[in-house]
Amino acid sequence: MQTWIDALSWLNFGFLLKGLAVTLYISLVSIVLSFILGSVLGIIRYSKIKFISAAVGFVIDLVRNLPLLLIIFFTYFGMPKIGYRPSAITSAIIAMTIFESSMLAEIVRSGIQSVSEGQMEGARSTGMSFVQALWYIILPQAYRHMIPTIIGQFVSLIKDTSLATIIVVPELMQHAQVIYGQNANYIVPMFAALTLLYFIICFTLSMAGSYLHKHMAS
Amino acid sequence: MSMIEFHDVQKYYGKFHALHDINLEIDKGETVVLIGPSGSGKSTLIRTVNRLESIQGGKLIVNNQDLSNPKTDSNRLRQDVGMVFQHFNLYANKNVLENIMLAPRIVSHMPEEENKKQAMELLDMVGLADKAQNMPAQISGGQKQRVAIARSLAMKPKLLLFDEPTSALDPEMIDDVLQVIKKVTSASEMTSLIVTHEMGFAKEVANRVIFMDQGHLVEDDESIAFFKQPKTVRAQQFLSKIISH
Ligand SMILES: Nc1ncnc2c1ncn2[C@@H]1O[C@H](COP(=O)(O)OP(=O)(O)OP(=O)(O)O)[C@@H](O)[C@H]1O
Ligand SMILES: [Mg+2]
Repeated sequence: MQTWIDALSWLNFGFLLKGLAVTLYISLVSIVLSFILGSVLGIIRYSKIKFISAAVGFVIDLVRNLPLLLIIFFTYFGMPKIGYRPSAITSAIIAMTIFESSMLAEIVRSGIQSVSEGQMEGARSTGMSFVQALWYIILPQAYRHMIPTIIGQFVSLIKDTSLATIIVVPELMQHAQVIYGQNANYIVPMFAALTLLYFIICFTLSMAGSYLHKHMAS
Repeated sequence: MSMIEFHDVQKYYGKFHALHDINLEIDKGETVVLIGPSGSGKSTLIRTVNRLESIQGGKLIVNNQDLSNPKTDSNRLRQDVGMVFQHFNLYANKNVLENIMLAPRIVSHMPEEENKKQAMELLDMVGLADKAQNMPAQISGGQKQRVAIARSLAMKPKLLLFDEPTSALDPEMIDDVLQVIKKVTSASEMTSLIVTHEMGFAKEVANRVIFMDQGHLVEDDESIAFFKQPKTVRAQQFLSKIISH
């Protein structure tokens, strides 16, 4: 019992929360960036613009089939070799954004395709442009269907930020390691704290997603 | 003055030749009914008129715009050419009133008040003023189709295309929709092209009947003459089959 109390002393717990703040920061920035980029890429995929859509499709398929860790290594160790040296946190954000955008692009493309063809034809037949039809009719319906899948993807993103510990990003996982690195008895209490913190964040996000989905369906 | 002119129009889906040498002229103000067996190319033909399908040969002029020219603006064309679909295609994310008001607002930039007034008048005309705030999922098929007609009229089209507007409806809803179509097409300046299997209705509204088979335009007749006795054997067979049903 005393070990647990020591392990989760105010000092250590505060240090964990600092890690948590970095985890949330990386997650939030990556979520916003990959949501925008993923949507744009997904729409380009759907639009069948000559050459461009195919090229985008190729890149998406490539990235989706790489381990995230390889992309993190690339942004941290690889990019300095080609002239850009980001901080560890920026590396993690870039890597997460590249990876998650390609995941979201596929979700967005198939979400758009799940809206019946008749919706697009109905809109176009009144003289709306392709972009107007997408904006006013297709995307609102597509995103409503997609909410659960997109939220699920964001939950994976948050969990995946723990991989950034490998390039010593001072995030939640890494800070826990620092604490139990000083005293092996703290390993179990730290894992318990990590379990609780990741669970609370991810579960809350999932619940918010379900609520939003139900709310928008009515 | 013609509204639609087909000159040797060809349509291919990949290798499949869906429309063969179509020649057809429809004058302003005419109401033309297009009939033929399933798969004969009726939908394909009607959809080339507002460019939902492209053509691969010949010349097609609609409302003085040359659809065989790739530079012709499809969005501009469609402002004057309304379409009513078999499955209504109402916007599922918009209520009835918004379905009607959206295109006038964002395509022709009609002032909001005038737009709303027009939409309510159109809803009144199709007998659905009390459904203005309903979502499409909350009204019946026949009501959806009447909203869809109102929606296409809101753009003040010169030409209206109907592709089997009553085929997806329960029998007891068909009459209400046909009544509305009759009202709309009888306006003297409106040109209409209608694909339908409702022969009684066709007889009543059509000036002309066009019969298609296997991608060919087989017969083009005055309505009265056609329903008395089609000229071609193929059309006679089709008509006797459909009427004996
Ligand atoms: N998108 C498409 N791709 C390939 N072939 C098509 C496509 N649309 C239609 N066809 C083919 O073209 C032919 C004509 O089809 P179309 O839908 O125009 O017939 P239709 O007369 O409207 O039939 P129905 O009465 O069943 O609606 C059919 O053989 C059909 O299989
Ligand atoms: Mg058809």
